Amino acid sequence: MYSILGLAAAVVGLAASVLGAVGGAFILITGRRHLLHTVRSWAWITVGTGVAMTVVMLRALSVRDYTVDYVQQVGSPNTPTLFNIAALWSSLEGSLLLWILVLGGFTGAMLVKFRDRRDDELFGWALVVMLGVSVFFYALVAGPANPFTAVTVPADFTPRGPNPLLQNHVLVAFHPPMLYLGYVGFTVPFAFATAALITGRLGEGWLLETRRWTVVAYGFLTGGIVLGAWWSYEVLGWGGYWAWDPVENASLLPWLTGTAYLHSVMVQERRGMLRVWNLALVCATFCLTVLGTFITRSGVIESVHAFSDGPIGAWFLVLFGIVTFGSIGLIAWRGDQLRSPGSIDSPWSREASFLANNLLFGAMAFVVLLGTVFPLLAELWDGSRLTIGSPYFDSMAKPLGLLMLFLMAAAPILPWRKASGEVLSERLFWPAVIGVVSMALALVFGGRGVAPVLGFGLGGFAGGSAARQVVLATRRHGWRGFVGRTNGGMIVHLGVVLLAVGLVAAESYKVDRTVRLEVGETASVNGHEFTYLGGGGDQNGRRVRIWAEIRIDGQDVYQPATTLYREQGVVVPTPSVRPGFSEDLFLVTDAVQTPGDPVRLRIVIRPMVTWIWAGGGLMFLGTLLAVFPGRRRRRGTEPTSVAIPDAAPVG
Amino acid sequence: MTGRLVRWVAVLAASIGLLVVAAVDTGAETEGERVQRLHDSYACPVCDGQSVADSNASVAVAIRNFISDEVAAGASDDQIRDDILRSWPGSLLNPPGEGFAALVWVLPVLVTVVGATGVAFAVGRRVEGSATSADEQLVAAARDSGGSGA
Repeated sequence: MYSILGLAAAVVGLAASVLGAVGGAFILITGRRHLLHTVRSWAWITVGTGVAMTVVMLRALSVRDYTVDYVQQVGSPNTPTLFNIAALWSSLEGSLLLWILVLGGFTGAMLVKFRDRRDDELFGWALVVMLGVSVFFYALVAGPANPFTAVTVPADFTPRGPNPLLQNHVLVAFHPPMLYLGYVGFTVPFAFATAALITGRLGEGWLLETRRWTVVAYGFLTGGIVLGAWWSYEVLGWGGYWAWDPVENASLLPWLTGTAYLHSVMVQERRGMLRVWNLALVCATFCLTVLGTFITRSGVIESVHAFSDGPIGAWFLVLFGIVTFGSIGLIAWRGDQLRSPGSIDSPWSREASFLANNLLFGAMAFVVLLGTVFPLLAELWDGSRLTIGSPYFDSMAKPLGLLMLFLMAAAPILPWRKASGEVLSERLFWPAVIGVVSMALALVFGGRGVAPVLGFGLGGFAGGSAARQVVLATRRHGWRGFVGRTNGGMIVHLGVVLLAVGLVAAESYKVDRTVRLEVGETASVNGHEFTYLGGGGDQNGRRVRIWAEIRIDGQDVYQPATTLYREQGVVVPTPSVRPGFSEDLFLVTDAVQTPGDPVRLRIVIRPMVTWIWAGGGLMFLGTLLAVFPGRRRRRGTEPTSVAIPDAAPVG
Repeated sequence: MTGRLVRWVAVLAASIGLLVVAAVDTGAETEGERVQRLHDSYACPVCDGQSVADSNASVAVAIRNFISDEVAAGASDDQIRDDILRSWPGSLLNPPGEGFAALVWVLPVLVTVVGATGVAFAVGRRVEGSATSADEQLVAAARDSGGSGA
């Protein structure tokens, strides 16, 4: 029954998407705007079918209906409720349902938000684009990636449940949905940008319409990435949080171009400039979400031969081609209208700093993309097998990251158009002093090495600059000094500083040791004592868990464990972490032990890891604050040809 | 002006001094640090891009132990690299700087330089004659009000 219900919802959703997209395009091209309300109706149907498919699948999972293909893949009577719900996105077909649900959510939100503009051509085309994307995903779930396929249950069938790594920590319930809210959220600005190109309404209107949508998507993507890193740290047992693997890189790429866009869009709002560039960034961000999904779903990165593994990758490649070449074609078509008058008057201006920001984020995105796909290119070129991992990405990202921190310090204090030397000196001095003090503190607390100490200094510099702006804003406007795009953006900057400083410390001063301990034996690592007290174990129908008891510094006892998941026959390590303001002590045992046997214990000591999570939280909070309306101000677009106020030359 | 200059010279001098201390006082690499660096440099052959330091796969543990033993036996980094690549080809996480693989190092630098040149040209370059009527109205309104924007 659930197979039939789910497939019926998928087919109805596909039909509604096709009718809405094709019909809507026809209505708009032929100028019959009075019929646009029908597109809204089709769109609402796709929202409803997205919800219906999700509800049907969750119900099938909860009653363990193994005649549904997806439930047979990931269902198990032993999976706890929370992880049984999370099983919805634990495999490819289910994750497409989540994608459709989130896409429907954003479509529904657009329909509500723009309910008064039902005859507006711009909104009409944006809706058509949303439905066009919807056609793609509904076609997938109604066709090659149908999770509702009815299957027979073999006589010897043993339910396996989701991947053990996806039923090991509560974060798995939050990280993927948050990431998808970010990924899919960028469809909205893409839809409006495409609509602006089609209609020729290329003023700043579409930007203002989508500003908050973009910030919301950005906030969720940020939160999703940080939660993913945290999950990786807490679950995967390798003592790290970011491995630069293709899946992680795929999520970082749209974040980088999205960050560039959120900055450069302000130049267009204020000065009417960078129109082509901003459209290109919006389109690139959406294209990169599709490319990222292609990379991670096709298996193409492991080997070119994985192309034949399934049709899903090819589908995403086709969508990527359509979106990329369609965007380029539209921008070329409207090229003449996109030229904006005026100029960037001085390198010592806010707009020039945003251009520099875009250069750095663009370069970073290029590095991440190139490093991710280069093994594939090398294999295609001469058949060689290359692995590109952390050392490459780290060495490329470090200089770019340091330059970004420097720019974060300078950019917020720069005025539009042109700054005088006096203004620069006055506004930058105290942040610079904070930077110097940060370097001195780093040395006092044992920090060494030019790059990390410079990182602390630039972090202090950027933090001081952002804090200065927040203090000034709250002095002038009270609590409103925390909300609005500019002020919320400074909170995001403070979060970035915390995260960056945490990364510098955790990466530069990591200590990683593996020791073998007998019961009662103590190992001393980096000033800490780890005493092996013995072990214990427990089991239920789902798993067998065996832990070692480790007393740290004669105080609390921690229990790193290994867990055997019976249904999958897979052993996963379950680390135990003592978090702290100054350092984390991360313990993991790398093999199943019989309680009381000698233990092979891996100890990873990383300074300031909690700063990374705190920074991520602050970034998310900052984006929320940026969405709230700030201080009322005059219309944002500053005409491009107005004379620059007198400013003393820089020097 | 002079006071401002003095303050900035002091900040710059302090920064340089602190960085010099940070550079000088790093000390020689300990054996443990060297082992850790080498663990971070090689890919686990079965782990899709993870380093042997980060992986719990048995082959990664074997390579980790091999590196630790070699370091203890006094082998150089080059000897260890040759031995590892002989048994596990393609396991170097840092791509070589020669042949086709060199492009992965060169291209980002090239793109950044071209981009920076483009930005440098963009600053100060005035685009004329393409203002739309909407732009002209905005300019006129702003001139009437005599302001320069918030």
